[in-house]
Amino acid sequence: MDWQRLLVSYFVGFVLLNVLLGLMAYMTWFERRVLARMQHRVGPNRTGPFGLLQPIADGIKLLAKEDIVPANADRLVFLVAPLLSFALAPLGAAVIPFGESLHLFGLEIPLLVADINVAVLYVLALGSIGVYGIILGGYASGNRYSLLGALRSTAQVISYELVLGLSLVGVFILAGSFSLQDILREQQRVLVIGPLTLPNWYILSQPLAFALFLIAAVAETNRAPFDLPEAETELVAGYFTEYSGFRFSFYFLAEYINMIVVSLLAGTLFVGGIDGPFADGVWWLALKALFFLFFYVWLRATLPRFRYDQLMGLAWKVLLPLALLNIGLTGLVRLWGIGAL
Amino acid sequence: MSLQVLIFSLLACVSILGALGVVIARNPVHSAIGLVLSFLNVAAIYLIARAEFLAVVQVIVYAGAVIVLVVFVTMLVHPDDLPEFHGRRPLRIVTGLVLGVALLLEVAAAVLTRSLSGAPGPWTDEAVAAVGGNTQALGQTLYSDYMLAIQLTALLLLAATIGAIVLARPEAVSERVAAARRTLTISLAHPRGLDQPERPPALPRPSDGQVKPAGSGRPIVLARSANEFTEQPAWGEWRTP
Repeated sequence: MDWQRLLVSYFVGFVLLNVLLGLMAYMTWFERRVLARMQHRVGPNRTGPFGLLQPIADGIKLLAKEDIVPANADRLVFLVAPLLSFALAPLGAAVIPFGESLHLFGLEIPLLVADINVAVLYVLALGSIGVYGIILGGYASGNRYSLLGALRSTAQVISYELVLGLSLVGVFILAGSFSLQDILREQQRVLVIGPLTLPNWYILSQPLAFALFLIAAVAETNRAPFDLPEAETELVAGYFTEYSGFRFSFYFLAEYINMIVVSLLAGTLFVGGIDGPFADGVWWLALKALFFLFFYVWLRATLPRFRYDQLMGLAWKVLLPLALLNIGLTGLVRLWGIGAL
Repeated sequence: MSLQVLIFSLLACVSILGALGVVIARNPVHSAIGLVLSFLNVAAIYLIARAEFLAVVQVIVYAGAVIVLVVFVTMLVHPDDLPEFHGRRPLRIVTGLVLGVALLLEVAAAVLTRSLSGAPGPWTDEAVAAVGGNTQALGQTLYSDYMLAIQLTALLLLAATIGAIVLARPEAVSERVAAARRTLTISLAHPRGLDQPERPPALPRPSDGQVKPAGSGRPIVLARSANEFTEQPAWGEWRTP
């Protein structure tokens, strides 16, 4: 076994985890500022310049609060569920390639934590395990609002996960691999159509899959307009009604980290990841992810929340048939060799 | 003892502990958690055997979909309402024990009689590398040599889906027509659309309340208690006298 490579991988993972946590804190600041601008408000601007110290103040506040466990809670499950949600959230980032290998001190440092050949399926599997944090938290609270929030969330996540997975099948067919490295390599090729020279990004060859992925990803991360599980007008706060202090903040952190990971994934799968004009590099991926994160906030400021039956109807009656259609079309194109441009 | 064997032993132990937890736990949700733990460890064992695709599918299908459905149902049932978790029925315990021992013996017999190092198949390391990895090799084998099995499985799943739809179908013909219309409707508007009966029945007036005409024809209803309205839909037409 190659100990050196394992250690380097752990080190890269450690750095990535810390970067993600820092980004997550500033994602809350970004969201509040942008949302405020869109709603003609000012947003947090008192703590530090431009309110930049606000996330730190929020963190201290949450850590200092009392950790309340309801009397009729399922105690052990109640205590562990938020940890589960939080621990699984950043794992998805481990398979995202952030660039070519670096050479430092005679060591080759790959800019991704783990190159596994089923990377995309791994991220989907993490999503399906992440549901347990929500469902167990809602169950263990011993509160009907929490239970209903957890049930809704689970039904929603399962339905949209199906759409998410099926929308990616078109990409798998074109790339011939589940590995994000291979998918990225395919996208770095150049597509020539007549006088046009375009990058071979899958947003161009799989626009339907991209739209489906974007919708399903928003639903999968429980964000507006699909934030039914925490619909405060009817369910108080959904599955984390009973949570307080740092256990609440774990759910909060998990939601924002999931957003960041999904944005990175969307950037890598559909718009070429680190590929870009002038010089390839992690900055292109960051820019693309930032756009998707802005898109999340934009959606939240623009769209009202779906009604629950509309949400499920949309997934099963519209998105799922469209995803299957996309798979069929892509398969036919690939079979007849038109895809071999 | 190599590191791999050590990790395998650890995973196997946790997996067995999880399986024990399924049987021992008094609370059905705790049993389900034990089962998930067991499944995840089995997936990790697949990873050690370099079957990455199988491991991920195990997590997505079993831990992610099947058990979530089980938890779904058990969460809605209070454990006290399940007699199976309290009454220690001797016949069941004996039956379970006999079946469990029989299964254990079967597995032991299979392991002991068939050596695990059988004749090597056509997929050598070089052949797997030539098609681009074991996931690709698995796909090629499944969709060429086992095409019939795949299609039969698909047919079975289709039959199960149709069966579920038929079972959930309402009995009355009028309700079936309404359900069919609902299926083709994507309601994004006020719920009083195609899926509602033509004319909603007039709601009963509050028994002891007063109806005062307000500004633009909308009545203000004064009632003695809010309970009078709990059985009524949130929308509907108030008929002013």
